[in-house]
Amino acid sequence: MRTVDLIELLAGDARAIPRGVANRKLLAALIAGGLVTFALVALWLRCQPLLAAAHQPWFWMKAGYTGLLTIAGASLVRRLSTPGARLGAAPLAAALIVLAMLALGAGQIVATAPGARLALWLGQTWKVCSPLILLLAVPIYAFLIAALRALAPTRLTLTGAAAGFLAGALAATLYGLHCPEQAAAFAATWYTLGIAAATALGAISGRWLLRW
Amino acid sequence: MLQQDETEERLRPLMIRSLEGDSGAHRQLLGILGRYLRGYFGRRIGSSSAEVEDLVQETLLAVHLKRDSYDRSLPFTPWAYALARYKLIDCLRRRHRSIQIPLEDAGALFAAEDAEEGAVRNDLERLLQRLPDRQRTLIEDVKLQGLSVEEAARKRGVTAVSARVMLHRSLKWLNQALRDENR
Repeated sequence: MRTVDLIELLAGDARAIPRGVANRKLLAALIAGGLVTFALVALWLRCQPLLAAAHQPWFWMKAGYTGLLTIAGASLVRRLSTPGARLGAAPLAAALIVLAMLALGAGQIVATAPGARLALWLGQTWKVCSPLILLLAVPIYAFLIAALRALAPTRLTLTGAAAGFLAGALAATLYGLHCPEQAAAFAATWYTLGIAAATALGAISGRWLLRW
Repeated sequence: MLQQDETEERLRPLMIRSLEGDSGAHRQLLGILGRYLRGYFGRRIGSSSAEVEDLVQETLLAVHLKRDSYDRSLPFTPWAYALARYKLIDCLRRRHRSIQIPLEDAGALFAAEDAEEGAVRNDLERLLQRLPDRQRTLIEDVKLQGLSVEEAARKRGVTAVSARVMLHRSLKWLNQALRDENR
């Protein structure tokens, strides 16, 4: 078939594309994956008493940390799904948020009596925290990958990493509904580690999963 | 740089109209893009290569099917360049050749047009034969006889809507088949 004939065919299929359709696809994936993960948290891990927790600053400290990372991750994924788009300020913003949290955690350690530091840092659940966040990120990641394949990512490793990061950040936010740990040092370490693991897995698998 | 701005000013309005469903603008845009793509791929993998025209067709199909990834508030030429570069790298990778394709600005694609169509290796014509009869005859009516989709639909006694759906599905299928062939 000659290229001019192909163009004739494609012109015959020139349908109108609604505005914002890419945003809607990604948002739908985030909501669908988020609901699956929320169901896992609510039905399997169980939420902590949320009314009491909502009055505590530590609850909002953790939610704010992972919530801001979720916003930065969403911006990154959106841009990477558009060929040729610049990354903008999101990578810098994400790095600054993590650094601020690490500083907050380090400050808390320093302000704590040496004998009590290890207990503060490890809490009761340090062994399961990061693995659970990684596990909870999987459904969100899967929905994001499906949506991204229908769009046109051209930098696959980077896009995979961004999708893993976003999935990890949202999973950590939802995990916060369950996790009763209160220390900034705890969240700065184990939450960050879980999100970092999701980012790494996204970078490795994105190369293959995102090909279109 | 100035020349690239002119290209942007020429192509972006066409893309916007194409996204509004204007098939004339869509045809014109793909025609211009095809000539630039031929020039770009020719410079990268050798203009005598039989793969050039395949890649042009594959990329035009991708531009067509991936239009919803374009953000109307952003410039068009970087979008088209990123797609073209992705298709080029994807093609080379599938053939297990590692050639570094530098990440340049969109000017690399919009440097020179080449209107001379080359021969195709993976003929879409041959792939068409694998489509179900109804889809194939619809495509042939539109392509060879230059009928509009509505006219072709009337001729074959189907509704215009289902003819459009059929055509879109066939194009998606061709896009996939073309990729698989190239493996």
